[in-house]
Amino acid sequence: MIELKYFLLVSACLFSLGVFGVLTRRNAVNVLMGVELILNSANLNLVAFSRYSSVGIDGQMFAVFVIVVAAAEVAVALAIVLTLYRVLNTVNLDRADVLKR
Amino acid sequence: MNLGNLDSLNFFYPELILLGGMLLVVISDISLKGLRVRINPLLTLAALLLALFYTLQTDHGSAMTLFEGMLALDNFALYFKVFLLVAGILVLLGSLHSEELAAVHQGEFHALLLAVTLGMLLMANSAHLVMLYLSLELVSLTSYIMVGYLRSDRLSNEASMKYILFGAVSTGAMLYGFSLLYGMTGSLDLFAIRDALLAQEVVGFNQVTLMLVVVLTTAGFGFKTAAVPFHFWCPDVYTGAPTPVTAFLSVAPKAAGFAILVRFFLGGLSQPAGGQWGFISGIDWPLVLIAVSVMTMTLGNIAALTQNNLKRMLAYSSIAHAGYILMGAALLTGTGLKAMLVYLFVYLFMNLGAFFVVTVIFNSEKTFELQDYNGMFRRSPFLAVAMSIFLLSLIGIPPFAGFLGKLYIFGAVIDQGLYWFALVGALNAAVAAFYYMRVMKHMILENDDRPPTPLRISALNVALLVLLLVPNILLIVFWSPIDRWTANSITLFGGL
Amino acid sequence: MSVTDIVFILTAVVTVGSAVVVVVSRSLIYSVFSLLFTFFGVAILYVFLGADFLAGAQVLIYVGGILVLLLFGVMLTHRLYNLNLTTERFQPIAGTLIAAAVFASISLAAFKTKWKLVGEKELEPTTQQIGEAFLSSYLLPFEIASVLLLVALIGAAMLVRRRTDV
Repeated sequence: MIELKYFLLVSACLFSLGVFGVLTRRNAVNVLMGVELILNSANLNLVAFSRYSSVGIDGQMFAVFVIVVAAAEVAVALAIVLTLYRVLNTVNLDRADVLKR
Repeated sequence: MNLGNLDSLNFFYPELILLGGMLLVVISDISLKGLRVRINPLLTLAALLLALFYTLQTDHGSAMTLFEGMLALDNFALYFKVFLLVAGILVLLGSLHSEELAAVHQGEFHALLLAVTLGMLLMANSAHLVMLYLSLELVSLTSYIMVGYLRSDRLSNEASMKYILFGAVSTGAMLYGFSLLYGMTGSLDLFAIRDALLAQEVVGFNQVTLMLVVVLTTAGFGFKTAAVPFHFWCPDVYTGAPTPVTAFLSVAPKAAGFAILVRFFLGGLSQPAGGQWGFISGIDWPLVLIAVSVMTMTLGNIAALTQNNLKRMLAYSSIAHAGYILMGAALLTGTGLKAMLVYLFVYLFMNLGAFFVVTVIFNSEKTFELQDYNGMFRRSPFLAVAMSIFLLSLIGIPPFAGFLGKLYIFGAVIDQGLYWFALVGALNAAVAAFYYMRVMKHMILENDDRPPTPLRISALNVALLVLLLVPNILLIVFWSPIDRWTANSITLFGGL
Repeated sequence: MSVTDIVFILTAVVTVGSAVVVVVSRSLIYSVFSLLFTFFGVAILYVFLGADFLAGAQVLIYVGGILVLLLFGVMLTHRLYNLNLTTERFQPIAGTLIAAAVFASISLAAFKTKWKLVGEKELEPTTQQIGEAFLSSYLLPFEIASVLLLVALIGAAMLVRRRTDV
């Protein structure tokens, strides 16, 4: 049986890669992919702890809800990306800077 | 007392009414072609009022949990439910005669307003990490859509985009923190988490991990309350969103964020010990909150000094006010918590008031720039005086309500012997006076050469502004019901 | 080293490796496609953890739903004849430093924290347990999730609709 900490290590890798992606990318769709990596890492943690640290399946239940929310969030985010693209013709965050002035 | 799913429904009327109202609005929006413009606001108002009525009726005896431990119903939750419903009603009234929103069809706006209010009520109640996450996401998701409501407007779109990306990242970090907490305790229920943490005596490296949990989850709560260093989205989003939505965001989700922050840290990670909460592990957690509070108010106030766009200035000022509110929460005492509740209550009226004046002026002037406010006193004395009262209240000058809030907060801080903290707060209030006064100077003292044309305000907006002025002026006299109500409201489930 | 260990290591390497491609690749299309491998890798890790229902949900929703949505996003926001689907990076140094610090702290926490452990659990199908939980102790979150999806539906439809009613 594989030890808990190896799952946690994989999830730590995914989380920090997600953070890296969010910080270094300026295309909105790319930032969203970074967010998906972060959510997947948290889910992996939850499922791993559900197996090793908890009596019930609470962690798995939480993970199901996270997946649902992630899907809704991506749908709304892409709707916003599309609207912005229609108005602006770009999805790069540094060109969306009327607000900075 | 823990209630099951069916028994809980008796205490769930407000939420059910909001949900039903939301569905009705959606249905009427697609089926009643001509009537919907009149009916939707009425339906929304009726749902909010009815929910408020049932919330005030709720007699829960003692604190209890609903839906198999998903929600905690206590006085603390009831305070926030009343607060959030009142905020929802005021924002709805303020949005009715807003030219910004009138340009776009309104049906969805009302459905979304009801959905976000439902989400916030649940946020104030959540006692389980799953509910906490879901309600926070419901509020966030709805807010993203509301911010991007003016879909042909570039600013609104940009703001919405920044908001959703920031929000997704910070709630993702919060989720990771939750997962670590789950690993340490094996439970998702806040009270079970606290019991588990108390039982195992957090020692050694687990203290560091718990600190990590605190930092990660603060990202999520900090995002909702717009506390430094998670405030970057705030000025842009507040500037880009339609003004009634900005007014809403600056008050209601912020308050819900504070509710959830208090419930998570006090209910989940601390233990009551003689009128004060002690953090479970040996780390000086309150000091972190105090540092965040000081940074938040200082940064907000200093950034507000140089703003020439009134909406943006009010955005920074609302960051600063989050700092003052956090002062109360940082103390981890009953008086601190009470001061926070009083401050939130007066903040509701003064901040919404200031934003509504901006909305009304934008209706006819189409501008948020400060120099366009010149000579406003000659054009509409009522608006200029109302704005001055809201701003004086925001500064905290007696006899207006804001003074009451500052009095309670600084009193609670001094009560704890944190004199330097109170001093920082007072200095901040002095700095804030500069930029609020600047607005008043533009409105009252500076005149341009143009002949003053009177500004037209709709009767509804006048009535609403008067409604908001009344508490700002009278609360200082009738402060004792507020005092009693908030003193009653600091009882948390499983807390003091 | 048993076969299980080898399969686990392979899966972990593929998951993390493709996640690296997601965040460093200059081509959006490459990023989306390597995200596919990450999602699949995570699904296999769920199988290792005895979460059969979640593994299925991961494939159906993440791969079938979210990934396709992201692909649509990429395609729709670039004119199709414009094959130069690159993205530039910004703040690479600060980003790397922060990500490295985050990685150091959470992987250290993963190894040094004394997690709560409940001992070996039997591997059993979880679908029935999850279904029962949805209708008993997780009933309220289940309903709220449906409200959330409704809001997302209304909101997304409202945002992308052409302006017909103004």
